[in-house]
Amino acid sequence: MKRITIDPITRLEGHGKIEIFLNDDGDVENAYLQIPELRGFEKFCEGRPVEEMPRIVPRICGVCPGAHHMASAKATDAVYHVDPPPAAKKLRELFYCAHVLHSHIAHFYALAAPDFVLGPTSDPAQRNILGLIAKVGLEVGGEVIKHRAYAQDIQAVIGGKATHPVCGLPGGMSKAITEEERKDFEEKAKSLVEFGKFSIKLFNDLVLANKEYLELITGDIYTMKSYYMGMVDNNNKVSFYEGDIRVVDPEGKEVAKFKPADYLDYIAEHTEPWSYLKFPFLKKVGWKGLVDGKDSGVYRVNSLARLNVSDGMATPLAQTEYERMFDTLGGKPVHATLAFHWARLIELLYAAERLLELCRDGEITSPEVRTIPTATPDEGVGVVEAPRGTLIHHYQTDEKGIVEKVNLIVATGHNYPAMNMSVKRAAQGLIKKGKVASEGLLNMVEMAFRAYDPCMACATHTLPGQMPLEIVIYNSKGEVAERLSRL
Amino acid sequence: MKTLILGLGNPILSDDGVGIRVARALEGRLNQPDVTVMETSVAGLDFLELLVGYNRAIIIDAIQTKEGKVGQVYRLEPEAFNATRHASTPHDVNFATALELGNRLGLALPQQIIIFAIEVENVTTYSEECTPKVRDAIPVCVEMVMQEITSGDSKPVPKMSR
Repeated sequence: MKRITIDPITRLEGHGKIEIFLNDDGDVENAYLQIPELRGFEKFCEGRPVEEMPRIVPRICGVCPGAHHMASAKATDAVYHVDPPPAAKKLRELFYCAHVLHSHIAHFYALAAPDFVLGPTSDPAQRNILGLIAKVGLEVGGEVIKHRAYAQDIQAVIGGKATHPVCGLPGGMSKAITEEERKDFEEKAKSLVEFGKFSIKLFNDLVLANKEYLELITGDIYTMKSYYMGMVDNNNKVSFYEGDIRVVDPEGKEVAKFKPADYLDYIAEHTEPWSYLKFPFLKKVGWKGLVDGKDSGVYRVNSLARLNVSDGMATPLAQTEYERMFDTLGGKPVHATLAFHWARLIELLYAAERLLELCRDGEITSPEVRTIPTATPDEGVGVVEAPRGTLIHHYQTDEKGIVEKVNLIVATGHNYPAMNMSVKRAAQGLIKKGKVASEGLLNMVEMAFRAYDPCMACATHTLPGQMPLEIVIYNSKGEVAERLSRL
Repeated sequence: MKTLILGLGNPILSDDGVGIRVARALEGRLNQPDVTVMETSVAGLDFLELLVGYNRAIIIDAIQTKEGKVGQVYRLEPEAFNATRHASTPHDVNFATALELGNRLGLALPQQIIIFAIEVENVTTYSEECTPKVRDAIPVCVEMVMQEITSGDSKPVPKMSR
């Protein structure tokens, strides 16, 4: 059997490895996505006061500190049985919209767009954000940086620190915002709405108007019929900060809607000897292995999943785009993995519109941002939709609030089974008779999981920034037949 | 000269946080109005945004090289990473790509960027402690940065290693 190793994956936050196993004919027999282990987080947290958790968890990951902070703050609310005042919830949501914007802008422009604007098999030296701005114009690059900075400024003012927020406390927020700050946020939000519209137009012009790309998006190799999970508000509209968790089947029918605290009734985790990461699945459907379809409990989270589980977007411009996407791609649910990129842009627009709404909310500058907890702490669950999907924090403490147990299910964890399957399907469609040695084809395999915007870990900063990419092809005897190295 | 000292890394992931520990040690030693000490766990575009507005940036980070000796401290300039930009990470916003993006966009980036990198051992275990050899390298790196700052503003210091 031949074995191809892509190690580690480019453009992934954290390190990972794709292994592709070929049969004697040189076709893909199997493909696995492996993620290196980070050890001891639970142990690290045990024995600490639970109110420290919102300040510790942003350090889990340099990519989504805001999401961990908010999920954690909500979990501490639950641990202390305290309900933050309305202004605190709105302020958290405002902060959180800025976080989603910051993340989605980076993913589209730096990670997703180069494949489409430059082409999936174009010269890898050009297939990056530099090649992108060379093609679409320097001013677009300037707009990207400017709007990322706007989103970051808003997070920094509310969060109290530039990158690792410290604002969320059990029962609310550490401080309110001033009228002056609100005005500044409002101007930035207006600009972000325009930028959201611009980004969608760019996607229309450069991706959707290209028949080849549209076929690639809707094509079989990037399609997977799975369940979907995401948070919805009272009207079943997409919600990032608060709501119930809704699950739809591969036909788009609601099969579950539950309170975050009940997640263990709906989600179970399967283990495999070849992976230290667990495979979450829908408990009531069951684990049938890495297969798709209605009988398999594999589900997906992240942008497309959120749009699939919801009845629409709560803001007008995003709603129009929501309808257009489902009209174009043949109705709900959409199973095209590359459509995660499109859905992400619709969410970008929604987050900007919602941000603006919150900036104009009469209560947003209210000083009433904290309810002091009085109950004895014990156990609580906090859930938000991280940019990458549903993020669950679950803490248990003793009666003094000292952490005894921590359970996290992160977005990339939910998607781990699906990512394995998407990689395998893409590999099977692209690699035939062992002829794989083109960088472009392997990039197209990587595109299958890049759509999920995976974020494996936090050890992303060790120089030189990313590990090199290596592709090893083994012959049927397990010997190295070919080695493609980007060292 | 407006100088940024930026410790990079994850302070709860063993040696990954060594850059932050060096920055914290420097903070107590430096009392100059034109020197800002900052710590961060971000990368890529976020990282680029932090550099804007400074004349000089001194970055301290962990590094893992193929045959590196744990605890070794390197003084590097951004050119050291250019060679890897197109080759090893063809489509990521890594350090070099981020800097080039900033330059092309005309951002006010530092004229001088110096990187102090410490060869590390363990970046996969959650802990607030560095491994012993890396811990021992912290004061060495602190002295190197102090020398960099005090040895005449923009004058390059000879390449040093331990």
